[in-house]
Parts: sequence; C-alpha cells; structure tokens
Amino acid sequence: MQRISRISVNLIFFIQVLLLFLLIFEDRIELPAWLQVAGRMHPMVLHVPIGILILLFVFMMFRNTFQKNQFRKVMLLCLVLAALSASVTALFGFFLSIGGDYGADALQQHKISGVVLSLLTFFILVWYQNVKKSMIVLYSSVVFSILVLLLTGHTGSVLTHGENYVLAPVTNKPEETITVENASLYRLAVMPVFEQKCFSCHNESKAKGKLIMTSIDKFKRGGKNGKAWIEGNPDSSRMINYIHLPLEHDDHMPPDGKTQLTPFEISLLEAWIQSGADFEKKMNDFAEGDTLRMLATSQVNARSKNVATVVYPFKAVSSEVIRKMNTPFRTVFPLYQNSPALHADFFVKESFQLRSLEELNEIKDQLVVLNLSKMPVTDADLTLISQFKNLEKINLNFTTIKGEGLTKLKSLTSLESISLSGTSVTKDALTAILSLPALREVFIWNTPISEAEKVELEKAFPKTEFIHTLFNDTSLLALSIPILVNEGILKKGDLLQLKHTMPGVAIRYSLDGSKPDSISSATYDTPISVSETVKLRALACKDGWYCSDLLEITCYVEGHTPAQVTLLKPADKQYPGEGGSSLTDGRKGFTDVLKEPSWLGFRENAFEAGFDFGSKPPAINKIVLSYADNLGGYIFPPTDVEVWGGANAKEIKLIKSIKVEQPTAHHPQSMEALGISFESSSYSYYKVVAKPVNKLPLWHGGKGQKGWFFVDEVFFY
Amino acid sequence: MSKEFIDHRFHITRRHFLGKVSLGLGSVALGSLLIPDLLSKSESPIQGLGLPHFAPKAKRVIYLFQNGAPSQLESFDYKPMLNKMMGEELPASIRMGQRLTGMTANQAKFPLVGSHFKFNQYGKSGAWVSEMFPNIAKVTDDICFIKSMHTEAINHDPALTFMQTGAQQGNRPSMGAWMSYGLGSENKNLPAYCVLLSRGRGNGQGVYSKLWTNGFLDSVHQGVQFSSSEERVLYLKDPEGRDRADRRKMLDNLAQLNDLNYKEFGDPEIQTRVQQYEMAYRMQTAVPELTDLTKEPDNIIKMYGADCLVPGTYAANCLLARKLSEAGVRFVQLYHQGWDQHGNMTGEMPLQAQDVDRSTAALIMDLKQRGLLDETLVIWGGEFGRTNYCQGTFSAENYGRDHHPRAYTIWMAGGGVKPGITYGETDEFGYNIVKDPVHVNDFHATILHLMGLNHEQLTYKHLGRRYRLTDVAGKVVEGILA
Repeated sequence: MQRISRISVNLIFFIQVLLLFLLIFEDRIELPAWLQVAGRMHPMVLHVPIGILILLFVFMMFRNTFQKNQFRKVMLLCLVLAALSASVTALFGFFLSIGGDYGADALQQHKISGVVLSLLTFFILVWYQNVKKSMIVLYSSVVFSILVLLLTGHTGSVLTHGENYVLAPVTNKPEETITVENASLYRLAVMPVFEQKCFSCHNESKAKGKLIMTSIDKFKRGGKNGKAWIEGNPDSSRMINYIHLPLEHDDHMPPDGKTQLTPFEISLLEAWIQSGADFEKKMNDFAEGDTLRMLATSQVNARSKNVATVVYPFKAVSSEVIRKMNTPFRTVFPLYQNSPALHADFFVKESFQLRSLEELNEIKDQLVVLNLSKMPVTDADLTLISQFKNLEKINLNFTTIKGEGLTKLKSLTSLESISLSGTSVTKDALTAILSLPALREVFIWNTPISEAEKVELEKAFPKTEFIHTLFNDTSLLALSIPILVNEGILKKGDLLQLKHTMPGVAIRYSLDGSKPDSISSATYDTPISVSETVKLRALACKDGWYCSDLLEITCYVEGHTPAQVTLLKPADKQYPGEGGSSLTDGRKGFTDVLKEPSWLGFRENAFEAGFDFGSKPPAINKIVLSYADNLGGYIFPPTDVEVWGGANAKEIKLIKSIKVEQPTAHHPQSMEALGISFESSSYSYYKVVAKPVNKLPLWHGGKGQKGWFFVDEVFFY
Repeated sequence: MSKEFIDHRFHITRRHFLGKVSLGLGSVALGSLLIPDLLSKSESPIQGLGLPHFAPKAKRVIYLFQNGAPSQLESFDYKPMLNKMMGEELPASIRMGQRLTGMTANQAKFPLVGSHFKFNQYGKSGAWVSEMFPNIAKVTDDICFIKSMHTEAINHDPALTFMQTGAQQGNRPSMGAWMSYGLGSENKNLPAYCVLLSRGRGNGQGVYSKLWTNGFLDSVHQGVQFSSSEERVLYLKDPEGRDRADRRKMLDNLAQLNDLNYKEFGDPEIQTRVQQYEMAYRMQTAVPELTDLTKEPDNIIKMYGADCLVPGTYAANCLLARKLSEAGVRFVQLYHQGWDQHGNMTGEMPLQAQDVDRSTAALIMDLKQRGLLDETLVIWGGEFGRTNYCQGTFSAENYGRDHHPRAYTIWMAGGGVKPGITYGETDEFGYNIVKDPVHVNDFHATILHLMGLNHEQLTYKHLGRRYRLTDVAGKVVEGILA
C-alpha cells in the first residue's frame, strides 16, 4: 500500500508537471493520432474525479462513522484517487483541446478551472499526507475543490451543449423585428441560411475547425485553415469549395446527415461572396438588377410566404438510407426538400417481390404515402403495411387483395385517403377501416361494391367521401373505322389486308362501289385479292355498338409498266415533280403535300403524256389515272380525258375520250382514281390527255378562275 | 551474443541517428507533395435537383394542348351581347388599338358575330359550356375555368413557344423539361416527359419539336415524342436471335467504354447517352404493358369512345396519357391540331370538339375514379383566343374569327386547383379582361407552385445569367389554389 501510494503520488506529480509543460508550449505541440484517441476519452474519464470528489465530501461529512486511523487511510486513498483521476482527466482534456474544435473563450475558462482543479487536488493530497490534521483546512479545501469542480463542469458543458442548456425549455427570448429598411442584406437573407444550417457547429461554444460564424469579426478572421472566403472570388473560397465537395467527402459542408444547403442557397452565398462578402450594405444599396439583390429578395419573399409546412412527430432518416431504398422498380423520396416524410412508389408488376415491400421496414416511421397500384399485393401483405404507422395516403388500385386484410390497417390512425379501385373488396370488408379517425376519402370504383351499397356507406359515414363509378352513360356509340394495312401501290398478287384495333369486330366491305352494310355485304375473313385498282369501301360492326363510319379508299395495284414516258406539254413550273418518270415510279403522293416529287400539277397546259411500251407491248384495256381531289385548294377532277394509241408517237389515233363529272359542292379532300376502259389493244405507244377545269364552277369561292389538275401515277391494265 | 548486439545498438552515433531521422522526415515531406488537391468542385448534377421546394399538391401534369387556338366564344366564354349586336361594327373604345394580324389588317369592317352554338349552365358551379362540349359540361364541378388569360404574341409560332417555354423566342427549355430538371421522374423505367400528337379535321397549324425541347438543360430532359402509329414506341422487342441477357451484357460493356471516354473528355452528354441507353432498356419492360390498349375493360373504352383504340387519335392519346401518368410519368403533353378556325367555324369546330370532348371528360373521370385526380394536374387550352369580330365575309351562319391575344380561356382540373370555379372575367364584348388577368408567366408560376416548386428559385445558369421558366416575371395566382 505504501509503495503504491508513493508511486501514485510521484505519478501524479509527474502528470502535473507534464500538464504545465504542455500548457506553456501549447502552440508548438502537434498531437499524434493515438494521443488524439486519448483526448477523446476525456468526456468519459471526467466522471471519475467527479464521483471521487463527491464521495470524498460525503466521507468527510460522516467522519464519525469511521475510526480515526481508518478515516485517515480512507481519506488518503480517496485523495490519491481524486488527484490521479483529476490530473489524468486534465491531461486528456488538454489533448482534446489541441484538436481545435472549440471556441477559444469558453475553452479558456474550462481549461483554467480544470488545471486548477488538478493542481488543487494534488496539493490537498500532499498537504494531507505530510502536514497533519487541521480538519478545518481539510474541509474548506475539499469544499473549495468541489466549487472549482462545479465551475469546471459548467464551463465544460457550455462547450458541449451551448449556453443555457439546462434552462432552455423554460426561458423565452424576445424576437427582434428586422425589416428591409433597418437591416443589412446579410442580416436579411444570408444570415438566416447560416443560422439554420451552420451556426449549430460554428459558434462561440462549439467551433468546428476553429471557425466561429456567429460573430462577424470572428467570422471574418476565419478558422483553423484560414479565411473562409476570398472577397469577389467565390470559386476559390474555402467555404464554397467545401460546399461543392461530394457528399461522401469528409470536408463536405454541411456534413452528411445534417440538413443540406439547397442549390438556391448555394447560389446566394456565391453571389454574396462575389459582391465582396459585405455585412453592412442594405438591400437598397445594391443596384436594381444586381444578382445578389435579386437572389436575396427572392429568398426573403420565399420565407415570408408562409407556406405551411407540416410538423411530423418523427425524425428524418439519413440520405444514405434513402439512396439505398431507391431501385429501378421502387422509388423513395422525401415529400419535399428537407422533409422527414417519405413516399414510396412501386413500378413494373413483373419485377415486384415481397422483399421489396419488406425492405421498407427500415423507413417504417417516415413513410407517409405508399403507392402499390397494380402490384400483386395480397391480404397477407397488409400486415406488413400496418407497420407503417404514420401512413396518410395509400393506393392499392388493382392489387390482388380481397378485403379480409383490411382490418389489419386499423392501426393506421393517420390514414386520410385509401384507394381500392379495381380490387375485389366488398362492402363488409371495407367497413373494417371506415372508423379510422382521419379517413376522409375512399375510392371504390370497379369493385364488387354496388352503387346502392355506396349510398349506404355514405349515410353511415357522412364525414368520408366515397368515389364510385362516375361514368354511367349506357348509350350506344359508333365504332371507329377499319384500317387498311397495305399502304402504297400493291403488286399483282398482293392481298388487301383490313384490320380493326378493337377485338371482336366484324368488317364488312365492298369492291364494286356499293355501300356495304352489316347484313348482306361480304365479311372480311382473309385478305382480299385484287387485280387492278379498286375503290374499297368498308365498315366495322359489333354487338353493342353502332356500325362505324365508312372507310372509302382507293387501292392501287401495279399494272403494266411502259418502257419510257414523255411529257408532251410541261407541267406547271411550281409542281414539276420529277417529270414523266413520276407517273410510273410506283410512288404515291399525299393530297395535302403537293410540292413533292410525286406530283405533277397542270393549270395553263393540259396534261399530255406519251407512254412507250417498246417492241412487245402487252394487251391493255384500261387506264387508271390517280389524281388529287382538293376542292378547297382549287384542285378539281379533269374535265375531259382522251386516250390515243398507235405504233409510235406520230402514228396514233384517238381510242377513247370521256367527259368527267364535275363536283357540285364542297367535299373533303381525297385521292381519286379515274378509270378509262376501252377495247383491248396492244399498241406500242399510248398518249393520255387530261384537261384541267377551265372555269371553276359558280358555287366555288374562286369561280371563273382556272383550276388545277394534279396527277401522280398512271396505271395500265 | 545477443547482449553484444543490443549493446551495439545502444551505442549508435549521433551522426547516424540524425541521418536516419532526416531520411524519414524527408520521405514524409515528399509524400505530402504527391497528395492531389482534394478541394475541387464536384460536377454539376445531370439528373436535376430532385425534390419539390415545399409540399406539392400535384405530383404530375397532363397538358391537353389545343393547337391552333380554340375559340373561347364558342366553347366556354358565353357572350350573349355579341349575338344581340350581330353584324354591328366593333367599337373603337373596346378595341383600343389592339394590333391585328396580317389576315384582317386590310378588312374594312369588323362586324361582331355571336356564337352560332347555344350555351347552357351546368353543375353546382353553374359554369357556361357550349353545346359542342356535352361531356365536358358534365364534369364542370371538377374544373377551374380561367377566362382572363392574356399574352403578347399574336401568331401561332411565338404564342406556342411562349406558352410552352416561357418566352416568344425559341431555344428555351419547355415546361416539361423544367419539371424534369426540377423534379426528375418518379418511374425510372419511363421518361419524365412524354409528348403525344394528334391531328384534327379542322384547319391545322404545325407543332415543332422546339416546343418540347430541353433548351440549354441537359438533353436528358427533352420530351420523348411517341409515334402515332400502332407501335407507339419503336423497336421495343429484342431483335431476333438475341435475348434480354445478351442485351444487358452488351449495355454493360458499352457503358464501360463510354465511361472511359467520359473520364477522358468529361462531356456530360456522354453520361446522358449512357442514361438514355439504360432508360431504353428499362422501357422494354415497362412500355408494352402501357401501350397495349386491348386489355382495357369495356367500360373504359366506352367512356373514352371507340377512337381510343385507334392510335394517333386524341382519344387514344388521352387514354395513353392516363396510363403514363398512372405509371409515374411526370409531364405528359398532348397536342391536338386543327383549331385555327379563320373561316368555316360552324363546319370545322364541331368536328374538332367531337374529337376532344368525350375523351377529355373521360380522362378526368378516369383519374378521379382511381384516386389520382388530386395529385394530377390536368390543363386544357390553346395559345391565344379568337376575336369577337368576323374574319372574311360576314355571315351569321358561317364565319371565322382571327387571333386574339388579349383574352382567352383555359381550364385546369385536379392537382390542387380549386374545383368548380371560374377565375377572371372578360367584358361583355369578350374582348378585354375586366377582372383578375392571368398572364402566361403567371400561369407558369402557378403550375410550378402546384408542383411544389418556387418559380423564382428553379433556375439554371446559362450564358452568364440565371434563367427560369417564368424568366423575370410571373406571380402565383392565389385565387385558384385549393
């Protein structure tokens, strides 16, 4: 015991000397990493001297329960322990202070009182060991050391928890009103950002990186690494650099896990530094269009707009957790920036797994909105969902629940809206959750619940809105017209294909110009074969629907192709097409796009073209002209058409000439085919003439003027 | 023997000691020079900012854009005064020097013409709707009409560009691109911004891809135009002989190559390209279930009308829009062309109305039935209004109207908008606004507000200044917020 006592006293002495030495040369000391660990144990070891000193005091009070020599031994033991632990604590505290994360003033007080305590306990020990008795001195010195202990403890807690920590709940601070007139731009716009997101770690008591932002002078001085900004140069400013570091980086500010700066706030800070990081200038001192002024104004307006933010009873989870929750088939997002409330959405039915839903357990307190629409969720899975206690809105449309599981959702006291459209939920199963206090809307379209049952529910639960089927029109509608699949010009032997996008539809058609109907016309079963250009008429019919409008379309089939085509009179300069070859290139034009190589337009001249079939001409008995009918665009059918034939261009005679019926009123534009049949012949050379209308009819807006004739293909059969 | 060694070790010379120490310190110093500077700016995010600024009311938008400018006087803005004053000259006190287009500038007279179509009041709100829109009339209790919209642009191109991008000059990002930038996509398997086109039977004006462009934002935010053919998205199926796993491997290797390139050049478009490949891969799974309209139940088809199964029609686009929105697409834009009735109003406009009436009402009911209307903002409207005077030869039976930017009507439903109200008023001539004007910038500000975005803070720095959808104007219209 003696030996231990002596060693301890010597050790304590050594530590005191070491402590004083380190204090004197504080500025030149660099702490190796393992001693920094010791430093961080200071908050742990400091409990020992506190306990021992109080115990010491208690023993002193109850001196009479001990025998005299027992008492002395006990006191010595306690004093040794107190001194040893106090000095070790002080030493560790010193190591911690070198880390530099604390405000200088507050730290100074704590340091001094801590060192004083350490020395004091040492001196009491030495005195008690060597100088005998005098209880008064002992008592008073112990009491004094406890007072010093209290002082040390208080200043230490200010460092860790900030001023007024204990009494904060019962103190109220007066709000000083600041206006645009009396406050600087810094105070109005920039400081609130710092207040919200930086001051908690960069203030007088807790100064991370030795940077104190709460005091303007100290802020200007900077921190451990120097000034926080360079006036006029945000890109080189330390503060801005730290803000732009990746979130995972240690130096990124604000640190991961704390509320982050919004991009707008970052722009504001950059603009503030750009314009000189001024703390005094008022809003109006800046130019009207100044960037900083505009950003600051927007910031002030945004705050004063008082957009109601809901306060939730739970805290946010870290952004790392939220990031983990997001997969390609499940999205988890906060409801808005810096909100602790989250919403989860699921997508792509095939990729849904129960595990995806179970994984949400990690955020079960924060989940406020859940969307499981179209996912294969069953009643059993509702047990999982009942764990999301703070759920306000849930979408279970088209899930496979039947309703028995709904009772499990009775625990969701915050539930305001539930959507069950497209499920097999019955009225009885639904009533299980209708007594939830916050429930105000239920969607039950496309469920077994009938309209009458819905009315009953509305009466029974008047505070809740039930949305059932909104569309109750049972009138018959007409089908859409069938579609011709083949586009362009068909080759001989090609089959016409018709289709309709609605299943179960019968298509009736005709090729001879008659109007098809739903009873007697041919039904389309297999593709239709055609040998020459025909006008197809078709409509669609189905039970429970009116037959569709008529589809009227000319189907062009390739005929004999002449070896050479010559335009005997040129086409109009604006619509030359590609000359004669346009007429047999097999490319169809569109009626509303006429300045296009497929079309030849004729107005001043008639259409006159020669077609040479070479030495072995085929037998031909019909010619079809494909032309545009666009009355609104002054494009009319030709008035006269002539077909000439012969051995060559010089030796031809008129075979057939027809007059074409002209329209008597407006009709919608279309592509038309004019067929001219004649006696079969095998001439080498044919000439076709078509005259555009010379005087537009009286009913037309351009009456009396010359009309147009547009032709894109000529077919020979 | 070991003791001698230890003794020898203890008798190390000072010179030796100092030499060793300096070597150690020197190597440490060298090391510190080689540590690269960690304080560099991180790359700007491509995917946009991600979250609303405050609690949003609407999560998604479906914008039913009626291209060509539907006449408000024949649809929702009831002006019986015009019928009473049929044929009379437009008073100069009303016109107040409004500029005319080149089409009517040479007109000697400006005869007022009233609507050929009857109007009636519907619903609890008593909203006026013309007889051409019987189905929309049934859902007026969910609709908020804004009759006091106004713009500066008088012709289609600048007006369209203004409505879509916030400025009459082009090259600015469109509304959907801003939303994609500010909020991203809910469903990672679908683009955030989809565009569906349809043509009407009336006089049509064109739409251009600059209306859904990403402008100066990353091209990831561009609107994805679906085709009007039966295959709404081409090449969804894997080519013959290759399966999905092959494609996955191919994409992985391609991504590695692109990554090398990105490290060398740092061009953010490379990242965009990689992301689009990934999106396309995921769309292969997600899109077929959306575009397969044959699985829709009969009552849905009847609600939208038979045309909803014919791709390329407005009805089909409405149905697809509902499906896309249900699947989490942030912004779906429809364009229906053909509303530019400079003439033949009585002939053409009913055809146009026929195209849109049933399916628009069906869209609202469909969303409401599924519990989605509260979080989906549906907008219907054109780029400007039409004049109250007749263009061309005057006839009470058939007439035309010219462009009128000073007052026009649009409506919104769902998504946090007050249902069953009419906001703003025009005078009895239907020419000027007398109450609560809403400019295009205000319209944009309000839409962004409903999506939880502060329109002044959703900015992008380009060519030295911060751009935003509302540019330097725009106030949120508080009166229509629920």
